[in-house]
Amino acid sequence: MFGFSCESNLVLFSFCLRFSRESSEMRLDKCWFCSSTLYPGHGTQFVRNDAKIFRFCRSKCHKNFKMKRNPRKVKWTKAYRRLHGKDMTQDFAFEFERKHNRPERYDRNVTENTLKAIRTIDKVRVTREIKHIERRMTGKKAKELREAQKELEQNISLVKAPAVLREDPSLTLPIKLKVSQKQAEAHLMEE
Amino acid sequence: MAATFASKCSRVGRSLWGGLGNNLSGLLSASHETACNHFLSQQRTFIQMRTVLKVVDNSGAKKVMCIQALKGKKGARLGDTIIASVKEAYPNGKVKKGKVVYGVVVRAAMQRGRCDGSEVKFDDNAVVLVDKQGQPIGTRVFGPVPHELRQKKHVKILSLAGHIA
Repeated sequence: MFGFSCESNLVLFSFCLRFSRESSEMRLDKCWFCSSTLYPGHGTQFVRNDAKIFRFCRSKCHKNFKMKRNPRKVKWTKAYRRLHGKDMTQDFAFEFERKHNRPERYDRNVTENTLKAIRTIDKVRVTREIKHIERRMTGKKAKELREAQKELEQNISLVKAPAVLREDPSLTLPIKLKVSQKQAEAHLMEE
Repeated sequence: MAATFASKCSRVGRSLWGGLGNNLSGLLSASHETACNHFLSQQRTFIQMRTVLKVVDNSGAKKVMCIQALKGKKGARLGDTIIASVKEAYPNGKVKKGKVVYGVVVRAAMQRGRCDGSEVKFDDNAVVLVDKQGQPIGTRVFGPVPHELRQKKHVKILSLAGHIA
């Protein structure tokens, strides 16, 4: 990637000059692959011959695209998470982010209120997303505990011979403290 | 420069092949892997002498070979002008095979930095034929065209274009 380093220096220099002349519209796009936001100065864009533009946040996403991977099947992308219900999809907070292509007449109050609203809406959306994930994860600990108990009950013979257990009944379950100890033991033995 | 590049790439490719041949079992998966690696390790470079470009206007030419990149020691990039020789042409067109023409590069596979810090790249190398003054010979332009041309004062091409990337 040779000629590129000189180009980037030039670019940075001319950016400072040009920024004062042109009114560059800053737009936050989304990466086509992982759906993360693209801030100015980051990422690459690929223009296909049918004039469709693909924007990527980093070369990881770009390389996955070149490998023709479907983002809906790649676990760490937002597309996969939304599709498989891992992240919140339907919520009122998303309505505010819909993009309108009609230009708004400049009104100072509207702009001010919008800027304030963006902050609060973002907070609300983030808390709701966290709640969604928490709700999804509720009962996981209890479930894990139940499964571990069941496994112990059924397969304790892998760890301790049944003859030993019959002789000394104190070794059998289900006292809560004993269970956690036995759990640790069983896990260690199995590993 | 192109020669060393090509030799480097072939060396890399061959070593990859060797390594993969040892590790992978299925022939199908091996060929898929090498195809993928070829894609990812492809180094896109400048448009230089002997680069064949697609012509995307209706001037009559189809394929054109670069014989000189005006401006640029290493070669032409997106938005630069080149001198080219017509290699393939439609039978009745303004331009015939073997003619030496000027062209403006409107699509380049090599990425070009934009003034906001991002980079753009296209799918192929394409050119629009122009005359010495910079006016396009054809009357239509096909496919997307970058707005780097505005800076280079190729306004006519931009006005003829269908999409501006």
